[in-house]
Amino acid sequence: MLYRIRHITHYQYAAAVSLAYNLAYLLPRNTEYQTCLDHQLTVFPRASKMQQRVDYFGNHSHSFSVEESHRELKVDISSTVRVADMRLIDMNLDLGNSWESALQMLQHRSDENTLKAREFALDSNAVRSSDDLRQYAQTSFSAGRPLLSAVRDLTHRIYTDFIYDPGFTTISTPLADVLSHRRGVCQDFAHLAIGCLRAMGFAARYISGYLETLPPPGQEKLVGSDASHAWFAVYSPGEGWFEFDPTNDNMPAQQHITTAWGRDYTDVAPLKGVIFEGGGTQNLSVSVDVQRLEG
Amino acid sequence: MSQSQSQNLPEVESLSYLHNGERDEACTAGGELRDHWQYLLSSLRDLGPAGLDERTQKIGRILRDDGASYNVAGGAAEWGLDPVPLLLQAAEWQAVEQGLIERAQLLDLVLKDIYGSQDIIRKGLVPPEVIYSHPGFIRACHHTRLPGQHQLILHAADLVRAADNRWMVLGDRTQAPSGSGYALENRIVMQRVFPMVFRNSRVLRMRQFFNNLRLQMQRLAPPDNMQNGEPPRVVILTPGAYSETFFEHACLANYLGYPLVQGKDLTVRRGYVWMKTLDGLTRVDVIVRRVDDHYCDPVELRGDSQLGVPGLLEVVRAGQVVLANPLGSGILESGALMKYLPAISQYFFGHPLSLPSAPTYWCGDPDDRNYVLQNLERLRIEHTHRQSDSSAVCGVNLSAEQRLQLVQKIQAQPLHYVAQDYVQPSQGPCWRNRALQARPLALRAFTVATEASYLVMPGGLARAAAEAGDLLISNQLGATSKDTWVLSGEAAETEAFSAAAIAEPYARVVDIGLPSRVAENLFWVGRYAKRSDMALRLLRTVFVQLNGAHMLPLEAERQLLFAVTQVTMTYPGFTEAGENLFNNPERELMSVVLDAERAGSITASLNAMLSSAAEVREMLSSDTQRVMNDIQDGVQQLEATLSTGMASAPEEALDPLVTAMFALAGLFQESMFRGVSWHFLQLGRCIEKAYQSATLMRSLLVPVTGEETEAICIESILQTSEALTIFRRRFRADTRLYNALAMLLLDRSNPRALLYQLELMRGYLGNLPGMNTNMPQISREQRAVTEAIASVQLARLDDLVTANTDNPIRGELDQLLVRVQELMNTMAVAISDRFFDHTDGPQQLVDNPWTMD
Repeated sequence: MLYRIRHITHYQYAAAVSLAYNLAYLLPRNTEYQTCLDHQLTVFPRASKMQQRVDYFGNHSHSFSVEESHRELKVDISSTVRVADMRLIDMNLDLGNSWESALQMLQHRSDENTLKAREFALDSNAVRSSDDLRQYAQTSFSAGRPLLSAVRDLTHRIYTDFIYDPGFTTISTPLADVLSHRRGVCQDFAHLAIGCLRAMGFAARYISGYLETLPPPGQEKLVGSDASHAWFAVYSPGEGWFEFDPTNDNMPAQQHITTAWGRDYTDVAPLKGVIFEGGGTQNLSVSVDVQRLEG
Repeated sequence: MSQSQSQNLPEVESLSYLHNGERDEACTAGGELRDHWQYLLSSLRDLGPAGLDERTQKIGRILRDDGASYNVAGGAAEWGLDPVPLLLQAAEWQAVEQGLIERAQLLDLVLKDIYGSQDIIRKGLVPPEVIYSHPGFIRACHHTRLPGQHQLILHAADLVRAADNRWMVLGDRTQAPSGSGYALENRIVMQRVFPMVFRNSRVLRMRQFFNNLRLQMQRLAPPDNMQNGEPPRVVILTPGAYSETFFEHACLANYLGYPLVQGKDLTVRRGYVWMKTLDGLTRVDVIVRRVDDHYCDPVELRGDSQLGVPGLLEVVRAGQVVLANPLGSGILESGALMKYLPAISQYFFGHPLSLPSAPTYWCGDPDDRNYVLQNLERLRIEHTHRQSDSSAVCGVNLSAEQRLQLVQKIQAQPLHYVAQDYVQPSQGPCWRNRALQARPLALRAFTVATEASYLVMPGGLARAAAEAGDLLISNQLGATSKDTWVLSGEAAETEAFSAAAIAEPYARVVDIGLPSRVAENLFWVGRYAKRSDMALRLLRTVFVQLNGAHMLPLEAERQLLFAVTQVTMTYPGFTEAGENLFNNPERELMSVVLDAERAGSITASLNAMLSSAAEVREMLSSDTQRVMNDIQDGVQQLEATLSTGMASAPEEALDPLVTAMFALAGLFQESMFRGVSWHFLQLGRCIEKAYQSATLMRSLLVPVTGEETEAICIESILQTSEALTIFRRRFRADTRLYNALAMLLLDRSNPRALLYQLELMRGYLGNLPGMNTNMPQISREQRAVTEAIASVQLARLDDLVTANTDNPIRGELDQLLVRVQELMNTMAVAISDRFFDHTDGPQQLVDNPWTMD
């Protein structure tokens, strides 16, 4: 599957900003199943300094500064990404390690992948495990149940128990509020699942990316109507990382395009930064377009 | 006085050392004085208690004059230095030194590994959680490298000597190790207070350590920045005047010759770091950092930090600026890592560390956790991430309730707690309660990277617990510092040592100017100083007049009280007062003097001056600091001296402050280097002075009053301006307004005359950067001062003294003074616009409230 993705972020400020320093996680990374073939990033006004690098988690980031006075900032990135169908579609989740033995293995195996995965079992900026999360998770973890089956069930329960409500949360809504109000968006549901898994002792990571959406039958797809998306992956020792999407109640396959992963949203926020003066009432508009080129 | 004589005196007995049987630095187990302490203690005995008291007072005085303080929650505490140093023998110290070098080398390898291949995790030497759960591990620093061999440039270790005589490490300081500046200050003070004893003791010097520090900063400079052959530009980055150890930041900046900057003094442009100076932006190559890791760059680290430099980390990554210590080095401070250092040492070196750490237990390890929970009373427990609000506790000191809370905390977050077997520190003599008493001692030792290895400061910063039974030794718990003398033992060795130090190349330090913030603060020191000074003098005059032998005419009294409100700008004050206030003006007058919350009051202006001065402490001499201290004391005492009521000559209560302000003005004039910063200070003073003189004349001389009132107003204004005596000498009893105005406005021989001030101002302006050019058009500032001078000179005294026909004021005089005031405001604004930095602090593009703790 080959995709063309365009993601435009447009800030408008009430008063002119004199200096801006930004860090962007907007360029899809390479993974076992995905290759970014080319990309183009433009910043308006022109960036005084632009640096691309690969970060600690293997993501692509761009740092750039705008050192002239400006009342709007536009970051426009296009990329072409090939997604292989390696992510198993018909995987039988009822095979594999029980969650109890997976937990034992996570704590005691000394292979490098497992040691490094333990980083994702720890609390992070936006996701801290708690008794409440553990309690919510527990229902899915019945005795002897294979880990992946339990996680799939957790994903399903989040999908059914929680209401997708873009008006309820912001990026800074604490996980506890999401849990108690049973509302949120994709990012909250990913955080929730990660928190549940960490509370159970497992390693889970946050994935940001895109989801190809198909228009209702007979209708043209609207340009810019897609959105950035988020889901999570869990680590099963000896087996690797497995992705789940609690917002759509599925396991990501060809329609999920990964941008970056980290311990939570704060490691891979699409665009963050610092501005001097001005700012004030900001108007932010984001437009995302995921276009299938072949497949 | 010889020793044999002194033993006959009874008071000398109290100077024998009362050791208490613990392992003691000065005494053997049998109570014999150790050889290397003989000379010092006999010298102290010769001094006697009175002598030692006197030296102790001298120490306190010098420290205070140097502004030595340690800021703790709730204010600044004066830095305490015990007059008895800790003595160590060179041979013994050499072993400690070797151990510290080895430890620094190991930590350097660990730092490279953590931000590189993470072998210590992959090979199972350290559980991943030790690194990954610690907030000091900064993922954004992955793969950043300093030029040269070392990543860890500065290291400090807290040592104690255990009962078995061995030195042990209790903890490491690796992000921005503090204390070396205090050690330096202690040494400087001890050398001044005990010059003979110090010289005869043949103490190893610190000079080489600091010289090497300079050299190392030079070596660290990014090679690409250094192509023009200039020495690198090095700055010290401080969180500011309110940080705990600001004194030592200022002290090191002065000693090393580096500008002391705050985050807002620096800016990232076109991929480099620049300092905002009066001449524009100057590139910075190396930053000696005293700001903690997370606060250094709000773009990538803590978004809400106002102490850092946005975009800094990206410049570091590109290798275009170097931070020492590098960002991310805080991970090495983790107590959990200490548990695994022996294994790591085995892995890297093939042998254990020669200078061991105290046995450490990490609660992330289930066995250790059980041990800790069952043995709290014999352990010293600490958070793995050192923060100002979390200090070590000793289990045995805890109440049952506190112990329960601690157990709960450990069980909730076991990864974040470590414990050490409590090591009973050795004791040593301290001068307490007029006796030499034994106190537990700890030593912070300092290490700096050299080209190929590390170099240790001989001695370091010793601290003695407040009480003999104290288990923890920390400044927060009242510990006092001590100088540490490593005794070379032989004269030859000292010689050789200093010869080596001299032969060593000296680092070149380049003058890169000052952050414009410094100039701005000095400008405001000048303005507030003058503002307070004028207010003090006026109030003093008013008190004298109100309490004088003669009853004042009502009109005169009101005129004076109006002037108080107008000069101090404490409106509405007396300007809208009813009869009641005029009949009982005391309360309002007290408020104008004492109310710190009231803008314009004497106390508020003096406080504003003091805090502007504190921001630029490194620019002030000890003498200036001493006068600032006197002023601070004066402010604090004002309330007590004034509260006794009007009757007891309130003007006298103001005298000490008036005198101190005189001294300050003298010091500014006499003892400050005539650099650019001095001109800003003086400009601030002149502008304020000219403005306030105009206000005073408008209050007292513009209204047309009765003859008697006019005479009182003239006398008052002359007295406030310190010109009354000379006026009387010159004009005898002729107090005509004409003469007064001549003296106050035009007299070039009167330094308080308006014209004199304006002409001074014009001279200072010419010395500011970019002002002395032959541009066809003069600057806004120069235009303002030129117009002010011309207006004053063109005015005719006969017109100025003439009253209007329609209302009872002197219109010409008023117009002239109003214009001068406007021009002074124009000047101040123009200087501020041109030279000072007006950027607001950084804001986050997206509000991100998450922080790790």
